[in-house]
Parts: sequence; C-alpha cells; structure tokens
Amino acid sequence: MITDQAKQSIADIFCHAARARLPAAPGDACEITAVPMWNRDRPAAPCAMVLTISSIGFRLLFVLHFSKDEATRAYYVGDDTTRSLPETLMELGNLCCGYMNQQLVNDFPDLGMSTPYELHSACVEYLDELRPDQVWTYELTIGGAVRLGVTLCLCAQAPLDFRAELATADEREGELELF
Amino acid sequence: MLEHYLLAACVGGIVAALAAGIFYRRKLKAGEQVQRLARERAEVLEAQLEAAHDLAEEASREHAEFEARLADLRAEAQQGAHERDALQTSLDAARAHGDEWLQHATRIAQEAARLKTLCITFERWHEQMISLMSQNRDMHKKNQELSSIVQHVLIVSLNASIEAARAGTAGRGFSIVAGEVRSLASRSQDLSKSYRESLHRNDLTTAATFQDIQAGGKMITASLGGVEALATQFQSRLEQVAA
Repeated sequence: MITDQAKQSIADIFCHAARARLPAAPGDACEITAVPMWNRDRPAAPCAMVLTISSIGFRLLFVLHFSKDEATRAYYVGDDTTRSLPETLMELGNLCCGYMNQQLVNDFPDLGMSTPYELHSACVEYLDELRPDQVWTYELTIGGAVRLGVTLCLCAQAPLDFRAELATADEREGELELF
Repeated sequence: MLEHYLLAACVGGIVAALAAGIFYRRKLKAGEQVQRLARERAEVLEAQLEAAHDLAEEASREHAEFEARLADLRAEAQQGAHERDALQTSLDAARAHGDEWLQHATRIAQEAARLKTLCITFERWHEQMISLMSQNRDMHKKNQELSSIVQHVLIVSLNASIEAARAGTAGRGFSIVAGEVRSLASRSQDLSKSYRESLHRNDLTTAATFQDIQAGGKMITASLGGVEALATQFQSRLEQVAA
C-alpha cells in the first residue's frame, strides 16, 4: 500500500527534478501539468526513453516522451552536430532521474538506478503488464516551446510511506552549486 | 698501778664499747641504706620488669597482629594470584576471540569485495537485454514489412475484385478468389497489428524487467560496498586492539 503522503512526495520530487534538470539551460521555464493517462485518442509523443530506479520494496519507472520535431531539436540540439536528439534527451532524463534518486536515497538507503533505454511510446499502453500501484502522467512545456511527456509508474511490493524534505535538499544543492 | 690498769682497762672497755656501738650503729645504718638501696633498686627493677613485660605483651600483640595481617596479605596475594590467573585465562580467551573475530572480519571484507563483482553478472544480463531488444526491433521491422505486403495484397485483391466485376459473368469465379484473397489479407493485417502490439508489450516488460535487474544489481553492489567498508573498519580496529 502506498500512502497519500508517499504519492505526493514522489510527485513533488519529480516536479523539482524536472524543473532542475530537464530545461536545456538553467532558468528556462518548465511548466508541468498533470494529465489523464495516455490513450489512443490522446497519445504521448512517439519516442520514449525509459529508466528505472529500484529499491528493495519498490521500483519506479520513469518514461520521458518526446517528438523528433524541429522545435524540440532546435531547443535541445541546436547547431551541435556531435549529438543526436535522443542522446541529448537520454542524458537529461538520466540527470532528472539522478536528481530523483538523490532525493529518494534520504529515505531509502538501498537504491539503484539503471541506464536509460529508448523505446516506442506505444509501449506505455501496456503498463498494466507491470501491475503498477500508481501511475502519474504529466505534460511539460520547456522553454515555452518544447512539449514533452512524462509517465511515472510505481510498483511496490511492500507498504510505502515517507515524506520528502525537498526544501532542505534544495538549499543543500544551492550551497553545493556555490562551489 | 693496778688501778691505772683497771681504769685504763675500763676506759679501754668503754672506748671499745663506744667504738663497737658506733661501729654497730654505722653498720646498722649501712645495712639500712643497703636495704633501702636494694629496695629502691628492686622497685626500679620491678618497674623495669613491668615495663619490659608490657613491652613484651605489646610486642606479642603486635606480632599477633602482624601474623594476622601477614595471613590476610597471603590470602589476598593468593586471591590476587587466582584472579590474575582467571584474568589471564579470560585475556587469552579474549585474544583468541579477537583473533577469531579478526579472521571473520577479514573474511567478511573479502567476501563483500568478491561479491561486488556480481555487477559483472548484472551487466551481462543487461547486455542480454540489449540483445533481446535488438531482436525485438528486428521483429518490429519484419512485422512492418509484412504489414506493408499485406496492405499491398489488400489493394491488389480490391483491384482484382473490381476487374472481376468488370468482366461480368466470366469474372465471377475470379471475383470469389479475389474476395477470398482480400479476406485473407484482412486477417493477416489484423494479425500483424496484434503482433505489433505484442512486440510493444514485450519491449516494455523486457526493458522494465532488465532495468530492474540492472538497477537492483547496482543497489546490491552499493550495499556490498557499504558492508565491505564496515568490515574493513572493524578489521582495522581489531588489529589496533591486538597491537
């Protein structure tokens, strides 16, 4: 069983992580809107990168949906010819999950994070196969131009209850950035 | 003359008697003095004897106390020796335990370090996932190709039906065949779509499962790193205590 407090904490951690890590440049706007689950009438962007944070009692699947359209490419890649858009977004998704992992480790000392993998977004239609206990879906507008989607899927094998202390973590991070 | 002799004898006797009296008196006085001195000496001696007796008694008491104290000290020394022996035995046992713990701590540290290499196994599983996903991608491509062929067959069968209709009665048989081909193509298209969905489902479960294994492996490796560090600290503390 996942308590409301734990669900809210994970949602808050994600929002902080997304605002901190998903914009290409620090300070760029990142608007996050919770939306109903993707379906065939309202599909997520076609490409997806998936990454997993695992603990002893739960696993959290992070799926970042994106389109390989011109707006997204221009914002994230620009004139850089050395890296592709999926590579760039996989790196940012990895950083975003790393941020979440860093926050979660305060309450769950045994945590591990996978490497990212690219999938087709149609795969998230079958999330029920994983028997999730909680699924969150978000639409993100980055820098006022780029639209991304995020699906978070939490599968718990044990009762889950914690309260994230994000304010303290942010202050600590701010102190580190000064150096 | 005789009178003179008698007078002289009397005087002599008187003188002798006086001398004897004086002598006797002096002797008597001397005897009394001697007695007095003897008594005084005896008293002094008696006092000295009494003091000596007291000293002897005191010395005897002190001796007894000393003997008792000595006995106590001997008993304490014996007790101390027993305790020392017991402590020595305990110390030897503690040293033996310490050595045993040191060996255990060393083994735990070695085992933790050895088990950390499990990450190689997890990475192998991850590589197998990459291989499986690569095969899935290949099946996606083949299914896409099949879907294109089926779509083409569907159009061809539709054209055949149109041509058969144009042929009128002569094309009736051909129309039935074209209809059958269209039906088969339509079923193939449904099958291809279902197959694509199965592949997507398979992609998700494969990626999620192997990522869980990979992340779990990193979690285990990190935990083993913590155990190794603790065991190493414990080992060095035991070594410091032993030294």
